[in-house]
Amino acid sequence: MKRMSLWLAAPLLAGLAHADYRLETVVEGLEHPWSLAFLPDGGMLVTERPGRLRLVDADGELREAPVAGVPEVFAEAQAGLFEVMLAPDFADSGLLYLSYAYGDLNANNTCLGRARFNGEGLSAGEVLFCASPAKRGASHYGGRMALLPDETLVLTLGDGFDHREQAQNAGNHLGSLVRLTLDGGVPDDNPFLGDDSARPELYSIGHRNVQGIVYDDQRDELLINEHGPRGGDELNRIQPGANYGWPLTSHGVDYTGARITPFRELPAFTPPLLHWTPSIAPSGMALYRGDAFPDWQGDLFVSALAGQQVRRLLREQGRVVEQQVLFEELGARIRDVRVGPDGYLYLLTDHAEGALIRVVPAS
Amino acid sequence: MIEKWRTRLKGFVLALLVTTLSGSLIQTQFNLAAIAALGAEISLTTRLTTSVHDLLGFAPLYAGLVAAVLAAALPLAALVRRWLALPAGLLYPLAAALGLWLALLVVDALAPMPTLIAATRSLSGTLAMLGGAALGGLVYACCRAGRTS
Repeated sequence: MKRMSLWLAAPLLAGLAHADYRLETVVEGLEHPWSLAFLPDGGMLVTERPGRLRLVDADGELREAPVAGVPEVFAEAQAGLFEVMLAPDFADSGLLYLSYAYGDLNANNTCLGRARFNGEGLSAGEVLFCASPAKRGASHYGGRMALLPDETLVLTLGDGFDHREQAQNAGNHLGSLVRLTLDGGVPDDNPFLGDDSARPELYSIGHRNVQGIVYDDQRDELLINEHGPRGGDELNRIQPGANYGWPLTSHGVDYTGARITPFRELPAFTPPLLHWTPSIAPSGMALYRGDAFPDWQGDLFVSALAGQQVRRLLREQGRVVEQQVLFEELGARIRDVRVGPDGYLYLLTDHAEGALIRVVPAS
Repeated sequence: MIEKWRTRLKGFVLALLVTTLSGSLIQTQFNLAAIAALGAEISLTTRLTTSVHDLLGFAPLYAGLVAAVLAAALPLAALVRRWLALPAGLLYPLAAALGLWLALLVVDALAPMPTLIAATRSLSGTLAMLGGAALGGLVYACCRAGRTS
């Protein structure tokens, strides 16, 4: 086990080979921006955690008025409006998905909604899924989404902080990933389907707070990152029905310094591909496919809040073999990283006056 | 006069030690109980090493909180004794426990997470931690009694 732990922590920083890039501020004055989606016309939609959806037009101008029709969200601490994701047929249907926190301080959790965007506002909004049970506090919601090639989507969730043991309970949604059809139904091949004691939407369990998700179509891999407590942030490859161990296994300790568990790994649980100890607080995650940075082809990019950086992860045969620290010069908590249709990287900084930043080749 | 303050300081330090160490050990057992309830086997060795880990990792931070609690609660209790003829063996433990309870409420209200010390998520865990503080208060009362007897 010791050897395994060393291996997990081993792929360390190249750090020196700064790519030949330039950082451009596209938009400033975004309040805790959380996620962005690229529109077919070259514009972008950006969520702000307090509950606003903002439109950045194809010229890079931020529309002053927020997009109307966003569902009411519970905005407090980590709670609020999370991700915006376009439906696969968005160009025809105008449909998009929003994840957000519902409820109030005493009873809340993560919801998934769908609405139609006409370029100005949202209409025909509907709630497709709400994680249950509603819990107290305003921490650990997950809220990221990814589309799978079989026309389903995966929504990440969190353990609600105080309810960490419930991440091992398949009878609720806390600390899990759920897989849904694009209409919010339960796919008939979901791994927990048929288990009467489990929620049928579950796709995997044993997570703490999943903050990044990427589907790699070339490797047919679903990858997520999740926050550990103090240490033990993880990169995981998701297998349907697998249990990732939280809180029975962790490479981190509690914020007080106390051990949450004496076990870093146990045979019953799927270990992480990589863990970050000390924590970097990973947030968004993107897979690079594009022409602007040929050297980055197929690499993972993980934005970090506490780490105030982006980690570039180089993989070989399913393993992370090297990491590179990027964009520390911003000196900012980075909430999300995306690859635009132009092949540039886009970053969102997590501040009351947050920014949308584009990474372009220097030349 | 110097002797009086020396006794109080000794009592305070002992109360701080007892409250901190007992609290650390208590919260470790609650955390391990939660892990065991999920099906993990906790051997005696694991229990001991985890307890020692927490004495090194958790106790220093907890000592800061306890020191602040006792520094406020014990003098306040001494003040109350001037008007209320309650036995020291009751008043000081009560003051220490109430002080810790208030401190936990304040910390949880200010900290970004709902509950900072995981063992205090449950009533039984909170009461156990308060019991540790009461024990510290009792030690302080004994020290004072020892001086006056």
